[in-house]
Amino acid sequence: MTKGIIFDLKELAIHDGPGIRTTVFLKGCPMSCQWCHNPEGQSRQPQVIRSPVGERMAGKVYTAVELAALLNQQVGILRANEGGITFSGGEPLLQADFVAEVIDLLDEMHVLLDTSGYGEEQDFRKLVDRSDLVFFDLKLMDGIAHRHYTGCDNTMILSNLQLLNKMGKPFVVRVPLVPGVTETYQNLNGIVQTLRGMSGLLRVDLLPYNKAAGAKYRYAGMEFKPEYNESQVLNPDTALFEQAGIKVTIV
Amino acid sequence: MNERLIAMKNRVRDGEHRSLRQDNSIDILPECETLQLSWSRRVARLVRRQCEAESVIIAPEERIVFTRTLPGVPAIYSPEEWAKLTAGQTLHELGSVSNICADWRLLLSQGLVGRKQVALATRVRLANDQKAIEFLDSAVETIDAVLELANRYAAGARGNGREEIATIFDHVPSYPARTFHEALQSLRLCHAVVWLSGHYHVGLGRFDQYMWPYLASEFQTGHLTIETAEELLAEFFIAMNKDSDLYPGVQQGDNGQSLTLGGVTPDGVSAVNELTRMVLRVSRDLALIDPKINLRISAQTDLDLLVLATELTRIGLGFPQYSNDDVIIPALVSHGYALEDARDYVVAACWEFIIPGRGMEVVNIGAVSFPAAVDQAIRVSLANQEDFEAMLGRVSKNINEQVHQLGEAYSRLVVPPAPYYSVFMQGCLEYGKDLSDGLKYNNFGIHGACVANAVDALAAVKQFIYEEGSLSSADLLSALDANFVGYEPLRRKLAEEASKVGNNTATADELMVKLFDDLADACEMYGRTPRGGILRPGSGSAMYYIWLATGHTGMREPVVGATADGRRSGEPFSANLSPSLGIPVRGPISMLQSFAKIDYRRIFNGGPITMELSDSVFRNPESIRKTAMLVRTFAQLGCQQLQLNSLSRETLLDAKQHPENHKNLIVRVWGWSGYFCELAPEYQDQIIARHYFE
Repeated sequence: MTKGIIFDLKELAIHDGPGIRTTVFLKGCPMSCQWCHNPEGQSRQPQVIRSPVGERMAGKVYTAVELAALLNQQVGILRANEGGITFSGGEPLLQADFVAEVIDLLDEMHVLLDTSGYGEEQDFRKLVDRSDLVFFDLKLMDGIAHRHYTGCDNTMILSNLQLLNKMGKPFVVRVPLVPGVTETYQNLNGIVQTLRGMSGLLRVDLLPYNKAAGAKYRYAGMEFKPEYNESQVLNPDTALFEQAGIKVTIV
Repeated sequence: MNERLIAMKNRVRDGEHRSLRQDNSIDILPECETLQLSWSRRVARLVRRQCEAESVIIAPEERIVFTRTLPGVPAIYSPEEWAKLTAGQTLHELGSVSNICADWRLLLSQGLVGRKQVALATRVRLANDQKAIEFLDSAVETIDAVLELANRYAAGARGNGREEIATIFDHVPSYPARTFHEALQSLRLCHAVVWLSGHYHVGLGRFDQYMWPYLASEFQTGHLTIETAEELLAEFFIAMNKDSDLYPGVQQGDNGQSLTLGGVTPDGVSAVNELTRMVLRVSRDLALIDPKINLRISAQTDLDLLVLATELTRIGLGFPQYSNDDVIIPALVSHGYALEDARDYVVAACWEFIIPGRGMEVVNIGAVSFPAAVDQAIRVSLANQEDFEAMLGRVSKNINEQVHQLGEAYSRLVVPPAPYYSVFMQGCLEYGKDLSDGLKYNNFGIHGACVANAVDALAAVKQFIYEEGSLSSADLLSALDANFVGYEPLRRKLAEEASKVGNNTATADELMVKLFDDLADACEMYGRTPRGGILRPGSGSAMYYIWLATGHTGMREPVVGATADGRRSGEPFSANLSPSLGIPVRGPISMLQSFAKIDYRRIFNGGPITMELSDSVFRNPESIRKTAMLVRTFAQLGCQQLQLNSLSRETLLDAKQHPENHKNLIVRVWGWSGYFCELAPEYQDQIIARHYFE
């Protein structure tokens, strides 16, 4: 039986998709974005989080059957309120077999995959196939900058994005607005050029930079060293998207 | 809100009107003693002298006037006489009648002159009934006193060139109100005099029902628009905030000025009207602690109304509090309430369901301390090596004993006469009976307090000692005796690894249901009280979440030390129905599912699921709509009552450090909202320690 590790199960996840949802945060991510606001999602190992409110363990192992049973307890409520389950992380693709098995064991309900797109094509297909909606993160179009700020190449991400559009699943592209890094005209314009004409794209969500992230690194015993000015005022050019006929929201 | 209202609100918050207060309370004791007045006559004389001593205040900007200038309520008996009068009897709290609800329709539809005529007609009919005559004469004395005060207000207004106000006082409260403005002014004065008479927790009842006819007719004639009516309503609400510092309560803000909205008509159809929505909007825009809003809903309530109510929650006042008609009305009916009365229920000061004008109910005669009942059972059973069934038997027995003790204490309850309050109760003037002699409903309420910690302790013992054998009785008992000093790993195991209430897990939830069943059984077994009522079991904790942990003067219940849920001695319990503090929690949905398991057909005295949502949850219209869906889910799951608070822990921590920057920060404390910076530190800390869902 497949086992997986998650670092949080969040009920009433207001910002993770339509309706009332529960979000499963899978532990472990191949990327290490400088602005990551869930640093405890990076390592696949359980770890101790020490915050002002106390000490807790992040990282709990479930079998697919256990997790699905837990989620199924709320299926009626989630369905009645236009919601469902969101798989986020960390990176769900890193535990694709586990996530797929959980989804297969779920009672009929809306499934949303929230992914960086960084994963093997077969894993990506496996989870997209089982989802009703995909939140796909796009960070940086420039390959070198991408490697610098996230620790990973973006080739696989961009090809999975093309694949996603071909698969015909509705998707939302989410762009974290990092001051002077992702929110530049050049980068946003690159994103617009890539997304232009994609038939499955519902809209683009721009996510303003979250300054609270820094403290979480300390709690997780990790180092936070942003190479950008956190306090710089954001001024994203949303008109770029609108001119290309792409619906855009700032979340 | 326009600038005029903002200025009015700020003046009240700054306490400008307090400079108009008289320095001393009046003294009426010599008069009462010289004339050797009866109890009833003394109460009436008190009302009369208070009205006479009030100064007339016509503030230039006010359209709904009355400013209380008397700082206190004088004694009508010397301490010695009072002790003699009440010897061997039980007084409820401060003694005077409190926490019931008038039928304000009687005032608005008949006027005080109409009520007086009823009294005089009864007086003729019951000419040979001395007791009735004394009550009716007392009631008439109070009516005359209020009429006289209203006349002085009319004259004062006229002298100040405020003809509009003078004209209103020419008509109300003497006669039936003709306009929305008259109805508000009539209610303002007569409600304030209830407070002046020494009563407290004076509620406003189903405001959107009894006020609506006056407003509706003026909408029809075009005399008022929603905008002009909302301005009057705002002025009325601002006035309700003037005297919070004069009201008695455990903490300031605990004043029971609650107002109930929504629900159903006597025919059972939705009673929501435009005034329902107006009250929610005005309360949201004013952001004041009074009146405290309750909204009656059902699984069928429009999501749009819940969205509007959630916008009120968003600003952080800790209300509206929601009550679910789907479970409350049938429970009231099955306990002897007539269907049309059950459909007319309002929420008392905090949570309890009472019928306006028809109840002399004492809805909070005390608390059953679940933590004490469980803690004693655990310690004795483990020491005697008994099995878990025996332990549960002890719990039931303890609960039963506590209920019995409370019931016995209140079998000697003395209810002082209340001739003025009786004017607004159904049948008092009609039958010549003071409300203290009983109304249609005369039940008592008992709350089962701090259930989560108690159940968590029991669940941990069941799981670790009786099922897994991973913990020995001796170790647990030593750890409890040592207040967990030197036993931190064990304490954390108890606090973090056991089944917990509020997480929708079977072990804990089944025990919670059992504890409430025990409470309901005990109340049923107690039977009828000498006042002819029953004991209504509920699920509120009130201040007991602090008191049971730290003790308090005059408290009947024992203080509980360290408990088997991993709670150290002195640490507070959780409020009402909410998970224990400092434990892992799954989230709002599991919490609703957990508390939905209680049998609310039997546990029907109120006591809300209490949930803190971080203010970041209310960021945009979409998330507000989702929160409204959560409220709808509460009703659909068959839960009874819900209070939702929007707070930020960071703000609260900052407010403790820099109170000067947070003068207007409002929080829900147990069944009421108050200003955070006016609370005692132990209450502030308990609120900071709650679970915040983001």
